Amino acid sequence: MNIDEFSCVGKSVPKVDALSKVLGTARYAEDIKMSNMLYGKVLRAGVPHAVIEELDVSSARAMGGVACVLTARDVPGINRYGIAFADHYALAEDKVRYAGDPVALVAAETEEIAAEAIKAIKVKYRLLPVVSDLHEALAEGADRVHDERENLILHSKTRKGNIQEGFRKADVIVEETYTTQTVDHVYMETESGVAHIDETGMLVIQSANQCPFRDRRQVAMVLGIRENQVRVIKAVTGGAFGGKDDVTVEVHLALLAMATKRPVRLVMSREESLVSQSKRHPIEIWSRWGATKEGKLCAMEGRVYGDSGPYIGLGAFVVKKCGIHLSGPYYIPNLKVDSYSVYTNNTFNSAMRGFGVTQAAVAHESQIDRLASKLGINPLRFRLINALDVGLTNATGQKCDESVGIKPTLEILRQVVLKDPELKNMWEDLD
Amino acid sequence: MTETIGKTKLTFTVNGRETEVLVDPSWTLLRVLRESLGLTGTKRGCEEGDCGLCTVIMEDRAVDSCLVMALQAQGKTVETIEGMGHEHALHPLQKAFIEEGAVQCGFCTPGMIMSSEALLRQNTHPTVEEIKVGLSGNLCRCTGYTKIFKAVAKGSESGGRL
Repeated sequence: MNIDEFSCVGKSVPKVDALSKVLGTARYAEDIKMSNMLYGKVLRAGVPHAVIEELDVSSARAMGGVACVLTARDVPGINRYGIAFADHYALAEDKVRYAGDPVALVAAETEEIAAEAIKAIKVKYRLLPVVSDLHEALAEGADRVHDERENLILHSKTRKGNIQEGFRKADVIVEETYTTQTVDHVYMETESGVAHIDETGMLVIQSANQCPFRDRRQVAMVLGIRENQVRVIKAVTGGAFGGKDDVTVEVHLALLAMATKRPVRLVMSREESLVSQSKRHPIEIWSRWGATKEGKLCAMEGRVYGDSGPYIGLGAFVVKKCGIHLSGPYYIPNLKVDSYSVYTNNTFNSAMRGFGVTQAAVAHESQIDRLASKLGINPLRFRLINALDVGLTNATGQKCDESVGIKPTLEILRQVVLKDPELKNMWEDLD
Repeated sequence: MTETIGKTKLTFTVNGRETEVLVDPSWTLLRVLRESLGLTGTKRGCEEGDCGLCTVIMEDRAVDSCLVMALQAQGKTVETIEGMGHEHALHPLQKAFIEEGAVQCGFCTPGMIMSSEALLRQNTHPTVEEIKVGLSGNLCRCTGYTKIFKAVAKGSESGGRL
């Protein structure tokens, strides 16, 4: 089919919801107001690792204008959820595992009353040693984030060829450790939603989310009801970038709406969003790369440690993917990568733009530059020599059989550099 | 809520209409616009004047409505995104934002348009640098700034000739 025959592909089409967005009429979750609506609020732990010795909500419950105060005891179904593995407590039971852990929920007639009721909840914590270092978390006899499980969540292996043989061919070897930091998505719209029970008894949640059906499954489990008794609607969403992939406000909204049988709105402040919601993983990458004096990559070995915080979310897959992509868009015939995702008491980390590949790029591009410098080869030429191409296999052995964009992209970059006299002077050996 | 205890009458002009509303003196202009008047086109982001989502025009100047106490608007003229244009009579900036693809998640869009409008009232033919300064108080996390700057230029009297 010729590109001109497509109605949309290759053409500029107006975005379907642009009109309502420029008019200000697009309804985001926080814009929804229902009659008789309550305002929800969450009490967050504020401490990274502690046993809850006492939790007293009596004075909060007794306050005028407070419709309900809920703790783990009030959860009707299973008090856990999670996309892949149900380790995320809807409300903390015996202990809290990071500063953003939810301890109690309030629904009240006004936002002010809800905030006052949150302040009136008394919690007595016995602080536990904080597991914050990846290697300490993995050491023998380490304090556990989840008493019933080790801190190692998943060890994944990527293997190709034979690295001993590969490194024997190497004329230069570069070995280095790279660390990346926690990053928040900072979507302009904080996590928000409204839940109500409709005329048929259906629990309806309208929220800023990315995966309504996944949210529905998790909500139903915590509430102990059937999935077809829950309807999750994705409201117009003000940015997510992976951060609204996991449940954010949905489970708490559901609990409050079911307990009060009234509509409830829950909107996070920016501060609460920063403390409690998922982030991009800080990852530590050790890697060793070998190349021949002609500039051909011949072997790579790597170890990737990803900090998932206290819950898996999508973490195990993010860290696994970082390991799989550690060779970047380059052909390496022999490689061995081990990736480990780890529980800690740090902030909860899950999906964010790039899903682990962003962190891998920090390591592979740095390694490429260092090898090029050691070999005295122009770094752009070195990339062109090793770029993946049709017919070559990637890290998992998959053969690239069409449309590999890295070489044409680098070639365009080379042409740009060659046309610019200043850049050309800086970059020798490119003709 | 019919409760009036502790509330004060605020009289101001909103989008050309004389408006009277009882407000809690602790409420911000943002909250009154969104919660009392239902003008939810003005968005809430950080509530501390960093993000510019809640930008409205007060007395011809762009302000963060989260930093203006509601009663500071007493007797003033306030314009929000709802007063800018309608589906069949779009404001040139609204039209330009659509045409240039300057709208992604859309959450920053109302604030961006209000800041742009305030800028264009002061400066009918801004340069790209002047547009950047004019929008320096507005954040976009979809990172669509280039298209937003193009849209502002297009929506100005210069029609995009920078």
